[in-house]
Amino acid sequence: MLVDLPGGWSPLLGRLAWSQIPYANPILAPLFVAVVIGAIIVLGLITYYGKWTYLWKEWLTTVDHKKLGVMYIIIGLVMLFRGFIDGLMIRTQQVWAVGPHSSGVFGSLHGYLTPFHFGQVYSAHGLIMILLAATPLLVGFMNIIVPIQIGARDMAYPYLNALGLWITAAAAALIMISLFVGDFAHNGWFEYAPIFEMQYSPGVGVDYWIWTLQLVALGTTLGGINILATIIKMRAPGMSWGKLPIFVWASLSANVIALTSFPALQVALGLVAADRYLGAHFFTAGMGGNLMLYTNLFWIWGHPEVYFVILPAFGMMSEIFPTFSEKPLFGYITMVLASMAIAGVSWLVWLHHFFTMGAGPYVNTAFSVATMLVGIPTGVKVFNWAFTMYRGRLTFNAAMLWAIGALFLLLIGGMTGMMLAIPAINYMVHNSVFVVAHFHSMLLVIVYAIFGSVLYWFPKVFGFKLDEFWAKTMFWLFSAGTALVFVPMYMLGFMGMTRRLEYVFNTGWQPYLDVMEFGIVVYTLSVLAFFILLYVSVRDHAKNRVGADAWGTSRSLEWMTHSPVPFYNFAVLPHINERDEVAWRRQHGIDNVRPEHYEDIHMPNNTGVAIILGGLTFVLGFALTWRIWWLCIVSLLAIIVLMIVRSFRGDPGYIITGAELQRMEEEAYRREAQIADSHHSHPVSGGVVGNAMAYQRNDSSK
Amino acid sequence: MDIKWRNWLKKGWRAAALAPILLLGGCAHNPYWIFDPKGIMAKTNLFYMIVDVVIMGAIVGLTALLVVWFMWRYQKGKNRGKYDPHWSHSNTIEVFVWGIPIIAVGFLSYFAVKGTFEINPYNPTVITHHMKPNGDPVEVDVIATDWQWLFVYPQYHMAVANELVLPVHTPVFFRLTSSAVTTTFFIPQLVGMIDVMPGMRTKNALLSNHAGEYQGIASDFAGAGTSWMTFKTKMVDKADFSQWVQKVQQAPGTMTYASFNRFAQPYINVNHHVVYFSSVEQGLFDHVMTEVMRGKTWPLPPMMTENMVDYMKKQAAEHRD
Ligand code: HEM
Ligand SMILES: [Cu+2]
Ligand SMILES: [Cu+2]
Repeated sequence: MLVDLPGGWSPLLGRLAWSQIPYANPILAPLFVAVVIGAIIVLGLITYYGKWTYLWKEWLTTVDHKKLGVMYIIIGLVMLFRGFIDGLMIRTQQVWAVGPHSSGVFGSLHGYLTPFHFGQVYSAHGLIMILLAATPLLVGFMNIIVPIQIGARDMAYPYLNALGLWITAAAAALIMISLFVGDFAHNGWFEYAPIFEMQYSPGVGVDYWIWTLQLVALGTTLGGINILATIIKMRAPGMSWGKLPIFVWASLSANVIALTSFPALQVALGLVAADRYLGAHFFTAGMGGNLMLYTNLFWIWGHPEVYFVILPAFGMMSEIFPTFSEKPLFGYITMVLASMAIAGVSWLVWLHHFFTMGAGPYVNTAFSVATMLVGIPTGVKVFNWAFTMYRGRLTFNAAMLWAIGALFLLLIGGMTGMMLAIPAINYMVHNSVFVVAHFHSMLLVIVYAIFGSVLYWFPKVFGFKLDEFWAKTMFWLFSAGTALVFVPMYMLGFMGMTRRLEYVFNTGWQPYLDVMEFGIVVYTLSVLAFFILLYVSVRDHAKNRVGADAWGTSRSLEWMTHSPVPFYNFAVLPHINERDEVAWRRQHGIDNVRPEHYEDIHMPNNTGVAIILGGLTFVLGFALTWRIWWLCIVSLLAIIVLMIVRSFRGDPGYIITGAELQRMEEEAYRREAQIADSHHSHPVSGGVVGNAMAYQRNDSSK
Repeated sequence: MDIKWRNWLKKGWRAAALAPILLLGGCAHNPYWIFDPKGIMAKTNLFYMIVDVVIMGAIVGLTALLVVWFMWRYQKGKNRGKYDPHWSHSNTIEVFVWGIPIIAVGFLSYFAVKGTFEINPYNPTVITHHMKPNGDPVEVDVIATDWQWLFVYPQYHMAVANELVLPVHTPVFFRLTSSAVTTTFFIPQLVGMIDVMPGMRTKNALLSNHAGEYQGIASDFAGAGTSWMTFKTKMVDKADFSQWVQKVQQAPGTMTYASFNRFAQPYINVNHHVVYFSSVEQGLFDHVMTEVMRGKTWPLPPMMTENMVDYMKKQAAEHRD
């Protein structure tokens, strides 16, 4: 053995032992029982209704970019929920454990989480929220929307797309299982050297962290390659770069970042693994290691990563604002330039995450100025959205509210970012809850944009709108929660409260922590409102059906095909005449032209290989974490063999004949006509094909 | 002139900062440590924060108002503003849209550069330019362990654990290192953060003219004991400082290479023990750094604080102070 393993090791089970299962933990043990019961019920229901074949054929083996996107979004929402629970636990610990006289339970001196558990909770919270909630949600939307917006039938590499999804799912599963088997990392979502070395983190937590991150990085890189190739090669005839929908530009810039930055993370993690598994000394304090190198490598990825997640969110906002302002996006070209500028500059600023490391003033000022440069294109974007509303006709439905909320949060996050960018200010608030409040403002921009997009694109994917009343209720509750949690957090930052305190030593901070706890309760209500929103919308879905153009004022290509989008997207690939093609066709009265005849089209086959490979990567990650070497070898070999076999077989795909296509299309048109009819017979409560009526209905429902 | 401007800005800012405090019941002293600096370093930080907030706040505030105004004016069905379904470009507006942020960033960059040099922890010109020839600076070697602070006063051959006492009106220069992991040295009202890293030496400095007691914090997460790794910083006048030095120099404890080895064992300082060491082996700071560079570590047991109450019993039973 190259490194000493405290706690023993066996050839069969590696470091795994009964003592690693927290069956005596008063929080985890009941949770585990609940999860098992829940799983049994779900599996039982699937079996009872005989849905296994449906699931396997329609979802688990699919290569349809829309279904994969939906599954990405489901993973993202589930992880968002998990991350939220972590957040709730963090806030509850901090509001409880204030001052030397606060009580303690479950083995803690103060509060209910010991440092051992508290560290795991906030580390998991950060990692999950950024990489397993925000990232899959955004990748999911890019997956669904990008091909339709550019008039393609699928991604450039449908099988790779499925593989990316299942590897991401494996990562999510790995971090979830760390709840019940062993422990997770303790030292924050970015860990840091040398505290993640074996001497200071002897458990398996850091190993879980390494392999979870490696899997996410792999999955996201594969996804990035795919989206880039799709945008570059699969655009419909006539769609020159100047006519690319703005969300596609945003996805392009984001994935350029992903493709170039994730490898840096993977290398860094590889070196961490070398330290922990092979006894190397890349990042140790002694023996020639350089711990600052890790910090640099991590943020060389870490900063571009935050722009990788914000750029698609900007793209979403740039779609929502014009639709509900009934006007083209202001300054399309500057918007594109701004995205590209952000992507470029995001490479030059990583050092602002550690101004306090003691680099000289020349280094710090260089990175400070570079960081502030990012503020320029970001500011441009905000102005452009404002001028998109200018001279518009604004409808404040729920999707628009989320987008506007995102805009205001961006102003706050941008303002505080510009404060942090100046070393003379940063020295005072770095590592404090002020930073935490800054990046939550920014990440909430993403969350707001995502909820706006869920509302905005839901009818496209599922064919009916979500309930406006509950969507708005959720929005206002969520926003109240945001204000109640993050305003006090900024104030605490100015009071000097540092981050990651398991025990809060200053009793003067108690009132602010109380307000934040109340804010979390309000957030919880908004989560409830979200569940009600889903329930009510599905219950009433027949009433809320929509036609191709769900909003009546939509602009880009995805609104030209049916809702829900057929699996082949477009029966006949459209020719693109204008930047906002649908708006242009509507204006010229040719939005209802039907193709004269249909030709055969070629589609990719489903494959079970992707999910099996995903499963194997999970096994590999688990075996590596626990150092079960035989299992590592077996799963790795299986992965390699399966990949080679699949690459020789390839996928010939299959043909849908023109006649069959025509039948399906006519079916869809009939459905749309019915929606229109039902609208005429029930003018008030009925669903409508997108037209101006839809807005009046929304307004009166307030 | 510079100073006047600062004072003026500061007064306004104080008033604004105090408003929320009054709303929340108000208390005798300012709980906003960042707005209530008691040292020249922290004061300079605050000055730049105010400049930044004024410039950015003006832009962000006006933008927010603009958005709100557009939302009000162009709401559908209200017919307040003219609807122009095709308008999407204007060179004049573009010039402003790019111009305003560029000018703002240019302006802020000037302050960013200036400020970084003024409070460069290795050579803070706000201190070095004010240094009076008669006030001999005090040097402190800071060694962070898992999870205590050892402050060595090489000029007085003595050391103190978990408490920092310093004279007012005197520049203080720190050298900092760590025995185990990385953390950050931070005294919100006196001086900003500087990382403390094992096997490496960083520097910092402070100068304060206000006697008082200020909170010191280990602001970067360093493991289970971080939350208790705090220390009080007492700024005292020069006579009191000499007296205090004499007191420490009569303490029974001493700090040698060997006793440091024990001192640096993992220890969660829940009860805020302060320990005085009347003598310190010459070159302890460099010795620790060299040892760490050679590969010395102070490992932690697995699942150490899985149960904190039990751990504290264990620590109390076996501990050495
Ligand atoms: C105007 C643009 C922005 C500027 C000037 C800016 C500046 C900064 C600076 C200087 C820091 C380091 C703070 C510190 O640790 O002392 C920081 C941290 C951070 N920022 Fe931003 N930022 C901007 C936009 C964003 C965006 C768009 C996101 C992502 C959605 C983001 C997410 C984060 C995160 C996650 C951290 C902290 C990571 C951590 O320490 O855990 N920022 N930002
Ligand atoms: Cu969070
Ligand atoms: Cu950054």
